[in-house]
Amino acid sequence: MRLTAAEQRMLDGGDGPAKQKAMAGLVQLGRAFGAERMVEIGYAHIHAGMALYLHDVELMEDLAELGATMAVPSSVNIANADTVNWQATGAPEKLARLQQRAADAQNRMGAACTFTCTPYWAGHWPTWNTHMTSIESTVTIFCNSVLGARSNRDGFFAVYAGITGRYPLFGYHLDENRRGTHLVRVDTPLRSITDFSALGFHVGRIVGEGVPVFEGFERRPSLDELDALGAALATSGGVALFIVPGVTPPYATAAQAFGGRVPDEAVDARRADLDAVYDYFCTRDDGVFDIVHVGCPHASFEEMKEYGRLLDGRRIADGMELWVTTSRPVRRMAEEAGIVRTLERAGAKVISDTCPISCHFARTVSPDPELGVVPPPLRAIVVDSAKQAKYVRDMIRCDTLLTGTAEAIETALTGRFVRHGRAA
Amino acid sequence: MTGSIRGRGIVEGQASGPVLIAAEAISFLGDVDINTGAIVGDLPSVHGRSVKGTVLVFPYSRGSAGAWRFLYQLFKHGNHPVAIVTRDSPDPSVVQGAILAGIPIVSDVPQSFWGNMRDGETIAVDGTSGEVKAID
Repeated sequence: MRLTAAEQRMLDGGDGPAKQKAMAGLVQLGRAFGAERMVEIGYAHIHAGMALYLHDVELMEDLAELGATMAVPSSVNIANADTVNWQATGAPEKLARLQQRAADAQNRMGAACTFTCTPYWAGHWPTWNTHMTSIESTVTIFCNSVLGARSNRDGFFAVYAGITGRYPLFGYHLDENRRGTHLVRVDTPLRSITDFSALGFHVGRIVGEGVPVFEGFERRPSLDELDALGAALATSGGVALFIVPGVTPPYATAAQAFGGRVPDEAVDARRADLDAVYDYFCTRDDGVFDIVHVGCPHASFEEMKEYGRLLDGRRIADGMELWVTTSRPVRRMAEEAGIVRTLERAGAKVISDTCPISCHFARTVSPDPELGVVPPPLRAIVVDSAKQAKYVRDMIRCDTLLTGTAEAIETALTGRFVRHGRAA
Repeated sequence: MTGSIRGRGIVEGQASGPVLIAAEAISFLGDVDINTGAIVGDLPSVHGRSVKGTVLVFPYSRGSAGAWRFLYQLFKHGNHPVAIVTRDSPDPSVVQGAILAGIPIVSDVPQSFWGNMRDGETIAVDGTSGEVKAID
């Protein structure tokens, strides 16, 4: 790889051991993927340091101890416990204290410790052509597809990119990989945000790591709808970029999105395809469930308003548990707007920093036995997101019931599962 | 196997161990149990086998942005493969996990390699030069 003098100095240790370690990792990554050089990045969404994994918080503490600081604006991905209100989720205090240590390390390194999968709702809003990195595939696809920034689906090396301000130039950082591969014809009206999630899950399964170009929306999708679509595409497939002509910079038309290439195949998305996703994630029909969850990915302020509207002056059924998950910055805005009070009066729990699949419910983790983590026996969780549903199944290993947001909240209010399209 | 084969060195380093050959793609998020190293995913050719201490050979990685964490956790639990050999370039996330854990990777190994190898025979992998060879 060709390095600038500044990059070579980092690699040689002239800027200290943290930058040296980070640059050495990035150079190896760049070689593996044939990158000719590094590119300067403008934003990094980095690893939290996760309390449910052995020595994972220590990964971030070790970097802070080495003197690492973030060279670019940085936000921090979702964590394994609500660091303020862990009791509400039944998490052991030791787990929350360990998670707080990760926050201390992030603060020392100068990352904004957002602990969220939707940092954009918290003000981290990279713009067109900003090279960036993200450890969270939902962030990668939103920033690529809605904002026109340039990001790969990264892992831990998002941290190294943040420390150096550099990333090897390959993948979705290059124009040639930001072209459509599949044309998707949406042949049904979409009635809810969850419909966008179901659409994304359906299409992601078909296109894999391709770049789907969407046609046929009745109107310009809202930011929340685009967020739901992207999160699901990145879950069932390896999609990093989708294109809605007229929405995704810089593509005004489908022809531009394909850049003169002929699409591999056209994919149709009909009502039956969406219904099949709902059915796939409704694995129980005996009416038994333990938790109703909304806010995957972490809710925007607009979504918090909607939950407030649906729950205002009402009360969830006896014995019901309703989780609303959102980032701490959005939670603060919702508190000031009186929304959190409305939700809590209705009996909902507003949880930040984590979510069902990222907390101590998960069974695929390996916490230090000293923390006393015991996953509770859960039978089923009602969700309004195909992403949450997929990982509830894979990580918590319990049944799911996927439905629309309004129907999920109606379920919590009545105590009876309400299928999508059936809300009062 | 006989002789040696030259692939593309993806992650630097040298290691040797008994071969475990998977016919199917692997996702480190979900297919391998970090607490035991056992393959628990839907991979009929190697289901129930342990990746611990092996040179793990598979055609390609199934995409998951979380793969790095599970590969790194396998290492932290001492249940990791000592080296990885693939036909297609693995995902960036797998590469990042392997660099963190110090697990050499050679990719772009021709398909004929699969037929030229016996399960359990000891091979050496050099992720710096890209060479994979039998050890007598």
